[in-house]
Amino acid sequence: MPAPSEAAPSVGAEGAALAANEITVRFGGLTALAAVSLEVQPGQIAGLVGPNGAGKSTLLAVLSGLLRPNSGQVYLHGDDVTNASCRSRSRRGLARTFQQPELFMGLTVREHLMLAHRARVAPQRLWRDMLDPRSLLPPGREESERVDELLELLRLTRVEKAPVAALPLGVSRLVEVGRALASEPNVLLLDEPLSGLDIKASENLLSVFRQIVDQPGHQVSLIMVEHDVAAVLSLSDIVFVLDFGERIAVGSPEVIRIDPAVRAAYLGDSDPDPGPPAEPAPGRGDPA
Amino acid sequence: MLQFVIAGLVLGGIYAICSAGLVITYTSSGILNFAFGAIAFFIARFYYFLNTQHTWSILPAAILAIVVASPALGVVLYFALFRHLRLSSPMIKVVATIGLLVAIPAAAVLIFGNQAIQSAPGLAPQPVAVYQVFGVAVTLDQVIVYACVLATVIIGALVLRYTDVGLKVRAMVDSPAMTDLSGTNPTLISVGVWAVSTLFAGLAGVLAAPIVGLDPDKFTILIAASFAAVVAARLRNLTVAVIVALLMGIATSLIEGYLPPSSAWTTEFIDAVPFIVVAVVLIYELLRRGRVGETDAWGGALDRAITPQGESRLAGSTSSVVESASLGFFGKYAGPILLIGAVGVVPLIVQGYWVGVMAAGFAYAVILLSWTIVTGEGGMLWLCQITFAGVGALTTAQLANNHGWPVLLAVLAGGVVALLMGVVVGLLSIRLGDLYVALVTLTFGLLMENLVFTLPSFVNQGLGLTLNRPGFATSDRAFAYLCLAAFVIIALFIVNFRRSTTGLALNAARWSEAGAKTSGISVVQQKVIAGALAAAIAGIGGGLFALSQTTFQPSEFATFEGVVWLAVLVTWGVRSNAAALLGGVSLALLPAVTQSYLPTWTSNVTPVLFGLGAVSAAKFPDGVLAEQSRRLRRLVLHVRDRPDGTDLPDLTLAGAEMGPVATTRVAEHIS
Repeated sequence: MPAPSEAAPSVGAEGAALAANEITVRFGGLTALAAVSLEVQPGQIAGLVGPNGAGKSTLLAVLSGLLRPNSGQVYLHGDDVTNASCRSRSRRGLARTFQQPELFMGLTVREHLMLAHRARVAPQRLWRDMLDPRSLLPPGREESERVDELLELLRLTRVEKAPVAALPLGVSRLVEVGRALASEPNVLLLDEPLSGLDIKASENLLSVFRQIVDQPGHQVSLIMVEHDVAAVLSLSDIVFVLDFGERIAVGSPEVIRIDPAVRAAYLGDSDPDPGPPAEPAPGRGDPA
Repeated sequence: MLQFVIAGLVLGGIYAICSAGLVITYTSSGILNFAFGAIAFFIARFYYFLNTQHTWSILPAAILAIVVASPALGVVLYFALFRHLRLSSPMIKVVATIGLLVAIPAAAVLIFGNQAIQSAPGLAPQPVAVYQVFGVAVTLDQVIVYACVLATVIIGALVLRYTDVGLKVRAMVDSPAMTDLSGTNPTLISVGVWAVSTLFAGLAGVLAAPIVGLDPDKFTILIAASFAAVVAARLRNLTVAVIVALLMGIATSLIEGYLPPSSAWTTEFIDAVPFIVVAVVLIYELLRRGRVGETDAWGGALDRAITPQGESRLAGSTSSVVESASLGFFGKYAGPILLIGAVGVVPLIVQGYWVGVMAAGFAYAVILLSWTIVTGEGGMLWLCQITFAGVGALTTAQLANNHGWPVLLAVLAGGVVALLMGVVVGLLSIRLGDLYVALVTLTFGLLMENLVFTLPSFVNQGLGLTLNRPGFATSDRAFAYLCLAAFVIIALFIVNFRRSTTGLALNAARWSEAGAKTSGISVVQQKVIAGALAAAIAGIGGGLFALSQTTFQPSEFATFEGVVWLAVLVTWGVRSNAAALLGGVSLALLPAVTQSYLPTWTSNVTPVLFGLGAVSAAKFPDGVLAEQSRRLRRLVLHVRDRPDGTDLPDLTLAGAEMGPVATTRVAEHIS
């Protein structure tokens, strides 16, 4: 059973930006997520950690709508979006990045950001623009400024006109973050945003995340899946730890750092008293 | 009843051999071989060549054609083509086999001679012996079909289940990359699988020839029917495919028995049975699961990781984007404008007959633009653009003749009708995945061709429906310019479409479904928009084409002919408007030139060339035109940069910041 260190969020928890309630996902006979709950407040950075196959990416897929859970609910700003499409979640301010960047190979870096911005700000342009010769003209000033700002923030200005197919993995990740931010999200899910980045780029990206959350007037919550535990613990306000599809711990970074179950399951600590949930049950496979 | 079952099992047995051949290559290489029927035709034609033209006796002819030539053809095709397609996108795989579908029958005519074949003998000695089984007459040809099906099924099952080879094949189906890593040579197994598949093709071809007749179109329809069984088996399940194939044969035979035999429509309906099966299966799948799940149909995790994501091979080289950006407006648009101008003056120069040919060429070019949008931009392979063109032409003829509409308005209305059909076909197929789009559109085309275009009132005893051109463009020359104007307007629309938010969103939907959805873009909506626009363009082009001929002739809109059109466009380049113009003109001009000036046998050279052109999409996905203009651009950049000795800023940046696309990605995927 998950450690009952905090109560599961009440249904449609008041004020939470994103909440998951008792999410269960089974792939055939394999339980990838067993009644996992999670709650993130506006402006909070949440870390989601766990060993390979813990179910982190599956949970992100459920939260972003790419995967329907077998049971449980997802709430976005208090609304039940369990059965809502990715698109409608995106329109409510949810954005995400992927472990393997899912970029649009025919578009340039700048076009990625432009498109995401328009899909959120003016969705009717997705079909109306083809009949409008004005789309040959340069894009509007407001949009250009916002895109420039994001390109600047992520230090992508130099490659803005490059087709993304030519970018190395690290830069592709930045483009994905840019695309997600261009849709003006209030909840941003990040799937291993730092992997493949060098130290300088990682530090830059972490400071970008801090900036996004701290910007006045627009509260953004982040949920970050990351293997770099040090980075997660330094950045997060709250950390959720998954192991074999179960939530084994939740709490502030300080609490997590000393949690014996977490140390045993994840940090590979051979603590003599690992606590019951840390023992990997025999016969359970890798749900990732 | 029994007699229908016995007769039906013959057709069903041939379907079964075909579907088995299709399934084994799809599961082992991810290639759904649209050229299977063409290969079957080639071998059947070879057998006829030996047995009838050169009076070889049955056994040596059958051994040489089926046992030796068929697998050998498979091996040759594997090393020449299929091997290189292993990591290509699903779309390139289909395009390449479609190239073969166009090239092989024409090559067969070139090699074996062009003669009308009334009836082709099967494997039974002539006259064919007839036996009485339970009071039903059974020919020796039919008995041979049963024996072949039984042998195929039993030997196939035994080999796959109990032998070492079978184990290796099954391992490779699960993951070619892992099989390779564990020390088994996947090339050897792939060659074997292709050889067996083409052996099945050859066998099916020789068996089918006496039943359906030795005609490439008939063979393609036969194989398209086998697709029904393959679709019902969700492309992978050999047993289901064989059972469905047999049942379909029996059903066809039963329907044949109980429908009024005299009506011509009955025969057409019987031809349509397999396509109705496809439609039913797809609708069922759509309702049940919403998605057939073709994306995870092939290989293991490692295979998917080393497969280029989406269709990066079709994107063409990224360097061309960088290059054209550095050339500025003039460099980007000068080529197409000059080309359209050059082609545009031709109708002023040539005289008489040739002006009409150019007019037809411009109308073809309009139709080809529909692929520029749906395949070039949308990344989907629609195989029924010719059907939409036919629908447009038909609507034009009906409205103008029977309802007195002004003819150009009727052409536009034809576009609208085609657009609505495009929406329906798109909604039915797009959710299921890109490979199913190709299958569904092919099925739709054949259904329309068999059930609608053959209606007596449209065929009009072979005369078709007469059309009058608009008053201001009755001459060929004026009409040619009307078509060219339509082409330019639609081409400009496509240029705008590419740059518009809709175009960007379509691009997004094409390259990454997950990325598009989570960015708030509906993949299905964007792709349906592209498909519907393309259908409308084809409909308008079809109306113009019928006007250029001043008749609507249903037989001119045969689905197979549309596949040739696609091969022509892919050869020139499927992403470029200028290529569509060249493609259209060459479609009209080449047959006219060969007919007027060259010996008759040369008329089969062009399909072979265009078929091979489409096959070469595996190597040059952007087509001949893009490849040549890329070379020209490089030359221009080279010359321009020489004086001051500096490189272009964009290119410097590209060199410093970006690695070669595929290699980096693959390396990162594996590590």
